[in-house]
Formats: sequence, structure tokens, C-alpha cells
Amino acid sequence: MESSSILDSLGVEIIGVMAPVSICMFLVVLLTYSLSVTSDPQIRTAANLIYIENPSDSATVKLEGSLENAIVFVVLVAAVTFVLVLLFYFNFTNFLKHYMRFSAFFVLGTMGGAIFLSIIQHFSIPVDSITCFILLFNFTILGTLSVFSEGMPIVVRQCYMVVMGIVVAAWFTKLPEWTTWFILVALALYDLVAVLAPGGPLKLLVELASTRDEELPAMVYEARPTVSRSHRGGSGGGGGTSLRVLVGGGGGGGVSDSGSVELQAVGDGATHNLDYNAVAVMDIDSVDGVGRSREGHSASSVSSEHSRELGSIGNRESVAEEEMSPLVELMGWGDNREEPRGLVEESDNIDRGIKLGLGDFIFYSVLVGRAAMYDLMTVYACYLAIISGLGCTLILLSVYNKALPALPISIMLGVVFYFLTRLLMEPFVVGVSTNLMMF
Amino acid sequence: MHRSFEIIGKVMTVAAGIGYALLALGPSLSLFVSVISRKPFLILTLLSSTLVWLVSLIVLSGLWRPFLPLKANVWWPYTLLVLSSVCFQEALRFLFWKLYMRLEDVLDSFADRISRPRLFLTDKLQIALAGGLGHGVAHAVFFCLSLLTPAFAIIALAFVTIHTFSMVIAFEGYAKGNKVDQVIVPVIHLSAGMLTLVNFASEGCVIGVPLLYLVASLTLLHCGKMVWQRLIESRNQSGPTLR
Repeated sequence: MESSSILDSLGVEIIGVMAPVSICMFLVVLLTYSLSVTSDPQIRTAANLIYIENPSDSATVKLEGSLENAIVFVVLVAAVTFVLVLLFYFNFTNFLKHYMRFSAFFVLGTMGGAIFLSIIQHFSIPVDSITCFILLFNFTILGTLSVFSEGMPIVVRQCYMVVMGIVVAAWFTKLPEWTTWFILVALALYDLVAVLAPGGPLKLLVELASTRDEELPAMVYEARPTVSRSHRGGSGGGGGTSLRVLVGGGGGGGVSDSGSVELQAVGDGATHNLDYNAVAVMDIDSVDGVGRSREGHSASSVSSEHSRELGSIGNRESVAEEEMSPLVELMGWGDNREEPRGLVEESDNIDRGIKLGLGDFIFYSVLVGRAAMYDLMTVYACYLAIISGLGCTLILLSVYNKALPALPISIMLGVVFYFLTRLLMEPFVVGVSTNLMMF
Repeated sequence: MHRSFEIIGKVMTVAAGIGYALLALGPSLSLFVSVISRKPFLILTLLSSTLVWLVSLIVLSGLWRPFLPLKANVWWPYTLLVLSSVCFQEALRFLFWKLYMRLEDVLDSFADRISRPRLFLTDKLQIALAGGLGHGVAHAVFFCLSLLTPAFAIIALAFVTIHTFSMVIAFEGYAKGNKVDQVIVPVIHLSAGMLTLVNFASEGCVIGVPLLYLVASLTLLHCGKMVWQRLIESRNQSGPTLR
């Protein structure tokens, strides 16, 4: 009867990113509860190189030890990122792609396999080892194929990204408590520096990729909205409600620079094909996506992988853990006039969407998983903090229109809310509600 | 979760836990699935209103932290606590409304710019509903989900209803400048909070909980009546022009 209101499709892209992040966090919390893993003091990983946390140590010892652990970890991550930049600079892109595939295989097979085994043990699921092995093998191979291939349906790729995030995050939650918090904060700071500072490795990577107009080899979650574009007499403003128009317009008509260029370039006022393409973190997947972008900024993301050798149960040593650095980037993309009408649909659906790096998924879930080990209230508080941080980052993305780190705001908010909830709110709420008093 | 189990001191099966959680949150879940999940903007509204409620709770607990733990058998500090909390949250609701007015302007100008119709009445009501649901869900999670027992779940259900629909009443009241609506929301919230104080007395919850549900159903009725009137009004206004 009436034409649809703007409320129908506003914010689809944001929800398209927040939904998988929420699912990942939810599943990690579920895993943490059901498996009830306590941190195993025997594991020495790259995060534990200097100091193995012992619950009986005093506070200052723990503080210093965790700080050292965190610093060493960040240094390792930075070193690996620089190696990545070098490799990319010397055009070893194929090597990087194959290495990514190998690490996806490794992560899904060994770490995912270990998690499956513990689930089977915990719930006493009756399945024999041969079936289990075959299923796991199929699962892993499909995941490896889906990572960088072009022919896979996007849903499969998205699911496997989320699964990999869950698997890696579940392993990270085994780290001891103080170390986890320090590492999270240190990584958030590192991310801020690496993406924004002039000498930062991630920034170099972005610039390299954009000058060469190539995609970066990296693992990224792509959220492609499925809103169909309604063409009304040449105007394609139907589905693509643009956050940038909203945010730019909200500033009293003063649209941000590149935004205004695109707004005007489109020509008549009725046509606003402003669907911005936010590219988050590294993704080689953007063969069909980023490669066709017309604007300069390409996705930059450092892909670090988390690879680990699992030796015998007694001694476990880890290989270097590379992190997937989170990075959120927005690619402006506005002008569709040159495209013949028939191609617009397809190109829109391929190029549009926000991309979020796998590292973001992992570290958000680690934070929430660690909060889950305390209480449900802290889980909820940290979840809200992370989601609002992500929302802020996405808004900043549409304003600044370049690669942005996704970790700092969310992690900082998450840590602050965790400690506030744990120290302040819980005594208050528990004290009030145990007397059946509420407001 | 481990700490809360210590406090309750009983072993709970997963099925029972899910049952209690659904008791408190079932209606809001169905509201979410049917109304809010359709429009992404409403999901964002829900998340932000939950955040606002969480922040208000943190601020309140920060203020009251030096005085905790309160003595168990004296009831007047609790009265003070409830009073101050309700006042603070109502003030925050007003600020939330102011923010929402600003947002409405932004959305309307955005709609003009892309030549789409402005926000309808139903849109505004839905946004208010999402905001109220956010408050209600936050209340249920923080007051009920950590300490899952049937008593908490039942009380939380009443409060979820109250929060959800009083937000709709409040937004309409502030928008129209209707004094009755504006005043009735804090009154409802305060009376609901005070009613839970009755639970303090032994066997008090036999009186307290039904009265609470009375308040909740009053809220529901008032909201329904108000929304119905507004819809009829707007239908009458736009009716002749459409033809």
C-alpha cells in the first residue's frame, strides 16, 4: 500500500557484520561453558614464552610476568607482519596464498579436531574413530578449499571463517587469565599503531597493495548484503542505503570529502548508488571483490595465522603464532553509471559489503570467552561493549573512508566494562536481587 | 556462572535453566523475532538501549558501592536504593528520548535526500518498542539470568513487560507533551520497584508478585489504548488526503 519506509533497509550492512561476530562469540561462550577448560599450565606457547602463570604467584609477579608475555607476543606478531610485508613486496603472493591454505588446513584439522574430540568425549557421542576421521577430513578439506577459491558460495566461505575464528579463539581461552588480558590490551595498542602510524607494517601493506592494485593475501570475513536493488526509473537507491550518506548528511549537510565527490559525481539527485564497500582486514578472497574496486584503497590486512604443532600430550611446543590482524577498511565506491544495467546487479552484489578480519573475530571471542569464565553478567556487558565498539568503528569507517583498526575501541571498551561489571556491578545487583528486589 | 551457582547453592539441569530463562524472556524473544529482526535498524536500537541501561546500572552501582553490602534485615536503605535508581533511570530515559529526537531529524533529512518517505508513525512506535525491549532484556539478563530461579524469572517477566511498554508510552508522552503519559511512566516504574520491596517481608512475595503483575497489565492496557488512539488519529488525518 504505502511505499516502504527507510527503516526497512537502513543498517543492513552493519547487521551483516555484527551477526557473524555475535554468532562467533556466542559459540565460543558455549564451548567455554560446556568444555569447562581450565588453563593448562603445561602448554608453552608463543604467548607464554617468558612466564608461565601459576595461580599461587603473588600479584606483582603475575603482573610483571604477564606484561613480559604480552610484549614478547606483540613483538613476535610485529616481526611476522614485517616478514609478510617483505614477502609481499617481493611478489611472493602465490607463496603466501598457499601458505594461507596450508594454515587453514592445519587450524581446522588439528585444532578443530582436538575440539571435536573433546566435545565427543564430554557428551559421550557414540561415533567410531574411522567415521570421525573421515568426517573431520572432509570438513577440513572443504574449509581449505573455501578459503581462497572463487567458485564457492559465499555462505560456505562465511561459515568457515566463523568456524576458524571459533577454533582459534577457543584455543586462546586456554591461556591464563592475567596473560590474556595483557595480551588483548597490547594487541589493541599494536593494532592502532600498525594501521595508523606512518611506519606501521599494516599501513605499508595497504599502500603496497593499493599502489599495485592487488589484493592482499589474507583471511577476511566478507559480509555481502543480500538486499536487492530496486531500480525505479534509473535510480538505484533502493537497497543500498548508505551509511556514509547518513553520517555525512548528519553533519549538517557537510558530507565528508570523498563522500561528497561521489554524491555529486552520480549526477542527478535521484540516483545515489552509494554502497560503500568496507574492506576489512586482509583478504585474498577479494579476487572478485577488491580487485574490481575502482577507488584506491584496497583491503589491507595482515594475515597472520595461528599455527601450532601438537606434539605428544606430554610436551607441547608451539610454532610461532601469527595473528590475523584485524583491520577494517572502507572502500568508497559510488559511480555505477558506466556499468551497463545488466551487470549492475551482479557487480553490486559482489563488490558491496563490509569485510572484517579474522583476527577481530578471534580476539573479540577471546575477550568474551574470558568473561564467560567469570559470570554471565560479565559476558553480556563485554558483548555489548564489543558490539558498540564495532558500531563506532564502522561509523568512523564511513566517515574517514580508509583502513581502520577494528580492535582498539572494542577491546578497550570490553576490558573497561569487564572490570567495572566485575568490581562494581556484581555486588550491587547480587545484593539487591537476592532479596527479590528489582527495579 | 560458577559463582552464581555457589550463591544459589543448588544443582541445576540445563533443561531447567533454559526453562527459567525462557520464562523471563520468552515473550520478548517472540517480539524480537516477529517485529524487530525484520528491520536491522530496530536491532541497532535495541542494542543501544541495552547499552544505555547497562551504563546506568554501572553508574548506580558505582554510586552505591561504598554502602554495600547493606544489612540484610533493615529495609529503609533498600527503599533509598530503589528510589534513587528509579529516579536516575527515568532521567536517563528522558535523555534517551532527546537523543532519539535528534536521530529522528537525521533520519528524516536522510529520507528527504534519497527521496523516500519520512518516518511513519508505525516506524516511530516500533523504534520506541525496540528501545523499551532493549531495557527489558537488559533488566532480565542482569537481574535474572545470572541467578536463574523461578522467582527471579517470574518477577523479571513482569519487569520486562513494564519496561517495554512504558518506553512506548514515554516516547509518545514526551513527543505530544501529554502530561498524563509523561507522569505515569515514572509512577509505574517507581511503584513496581517499591512493590518488590514488599518481597522483603517473609511470605511477602505472595502479595508482591500478583500486584506487580497488576501493574504490568495496567502498563500494557494503557499503552495499547494510547497506540490505538494514535493510529486512529493518524488514519483519520491521512485518510482524506490519500483519496
